[in-house]
Amino acid sequence: MLQMDLDIGDFCSNWAHCDLLSAYLARMVSHNRLDSLLFSNLYSSALNELLETVFRVHGKSGKLECSVRRQGGLDRIELVFPADEDTFRVYSEAIDKLSGKDAEKLYLEALFTEDEPDASLGLLELGVDYGARLAIDRAGDGRMCLVAELTLEDENE
Amino acid sequence: MIAENSTQAFQWTYNENDQEFALHGSLRPQKAEELSNCISALDQSVSNVSGKFYVNVRRLVRMNNVAFHAIACKILDLVRGRSDLDVHVTTSSVVGWATRKFAVLETMSDKITVSEYDSEFYPGQSFVEDSEFIHVLRTQTKLTWKHEKDLLRQHGLKPGMQVADICCGIGDFAVLLQKEFSPDRLVALDHSKSSLDYARQVAADFGIKGIDYVFGDAADMLLEDNQFDFVTCRHSLQVFDRPELILKELFRICKPGGRIYVTNEKNSHCLGEPRGESIQWTYNEVAKLWHHFDMDIEIGPKSRRLLIEGGFEDVTIGSFMVTSTDGDPQGFADIIASWKNLFAGKMASERGDDAAFVERFAKGFDDHIFAALHPKGYAGWPIWVASGRKPL
Ligand SMILES: C[S@@+](CC[C@H](N)C(=O)[O-])C[C@H]1O[C@@H](n2cnc3c(N)ncnc32)[C@H](O)[C@@H]1O
Repeated sequence: MLQMDLDIGDFCSNWAHCDLLSAYLARMVSHNRLDSLLFSNLYSSALNELLETVFRVHGKSGKLECSVRRQGGLDRIELVFPADEDTFRVYSEAIDKLSGKDAEKLYLEALFTEDEPDASLGLLELGVDYGARLAIDRAGDGRMCLVAELTLEDENE
Repeated sequence: MIAENSTQAFQWTYNENDQEFALHGSLRPQKAEELSNCISALDQSVSNVSGKFYVNVRRLVRMNNVAFHAIACKILDLVRGRSDLDVHVTTSSVVGWATRKFAVLETMSDKITVSEYDSEFYPGQSFVEDSEFIHVLRTQTKLTWKHEKDLLRQHGLKPGMQVADICCGIGDFAVLLQKEFSPDRLVALDHSKSSLDYARQVAADFGIKGIDYVFGDAADMLLEDNQFDFVTCRHSLQVFDRPELILKELFRICKPGGRIYVTNEKNSHCLGEPRGESIQWTYNEVAKLWHHFDMDIEIGPKSRRLLIEGGFEDVTIGSFMVTSTDGDPQGFADIIASWKNLFAGKMASERGDDAAFVERFAKGFDDHIFAALHPKGYAGWPIWVASGRKPL
């Protein structure tokens, strides 16, 4: 398991942090995979979408914790970050969409919307395109927890 | 054209001849406006095009949803607004997310097609990735290793180094490296999925751990810069149609002060006695046959020039000859038999050679085998080894 703690304000001071952090963690977790380069590229793409979402939608102040772990073929990413009610609602609505039957349709709609894409597009992508299992929870201390479980490598490939 | 800041480096190019707009690099903007130059370049490129417009994202390594949304909506606008236009998007199998992500465009309009660029990646690929070729490689490495084990030391390979074997084929060389030199890290990359499957299976069967077999394009690798002390690339500059692109990448991933090591052949110099003339005729023809498929099996002695022009210093070149008297004449004969199979088989027939030619062509291989197994005979296959240092 790997964990990084940051102040949410520091994290959000520069958009490039999403890219840097996802690339860094992806490199750290890519050893002993079927194909470390393919894996790291996919992992970084998925994690980057999560981090970009948190960058856009989060509560005022507090700590961002990012921890990643591997359980066999499953990779679990856990993000804990400050969240008020409105923030939490954005995430829970996205997860509701994903649990419905028309998740894929909603994803495509969000992807090709005429307007600015919605902040939850990354979550929909993870759920539909990456087949990730997403879950959220309240974390006390005014924060929330977002968990993504991903299977990025097909063992039979 | 280059748009660059600390984390986003992406470029675009437009090739008018091919009506192809290509995106390269990493595309993770915060706002769509950051792509406005790129989108206007796309607009401008397409304005003079009718018929099929190609969007090439093969070398686009990272892309977030902001960028995808901007580019995808632009493509949709184009085909919806212009009845004379179709768009084809080419993705790469090396970039895991790309094909799946772009494929949704096909569901949005039947004027958009998406395909993964994987086969016909270079002209000789269908031969090199043929299962017959696995046999060629297996028999070859067995005999070349006897020579290379010592040569590698002379060219600077030491235990405990960070090593990459680029265009590793079926990975047998990497296994030998692992056993002999215990590198600290060993990455073995190839663009043939079947060869990599084979390599992983062999490593698993033999309980060999620590070799990182990765799928990739040697001419554009996902590996980062300046990582390896020693980078090998064996018998592969000669199969890819643009060897200088691979060399550039070998240079990039090598640490300053590290070395790259390449081996190449000059097949027309294969020799044998008795029946020397027939043998020589056939191998001259081998060179022409490879040339027909844009591969240069004569690259060996040119390696020095390639390395010098590639920016390497302290370039050294030498050659060795695998021969029937190395202790394994049957092994030598097996190599030639595997060549005959492929060269006088699939390759000749694909070039459209007639039966008389193929018969004479095949005979030279048989004569080479004859020479190798003849009690007083001698048969050889010369290989050029060159290495150079990346300047500090
Ligand atoms: C003649 S084989 C040599 C394999 C191995 N080095 C050996 O000596 O046994 C050439 C190899 O180069 C690989 N190759 C050619 N072009 C490539 C490219 N652009 N990227 C990755 N691999 C490539 C082919 O798939 C093939 O495995």
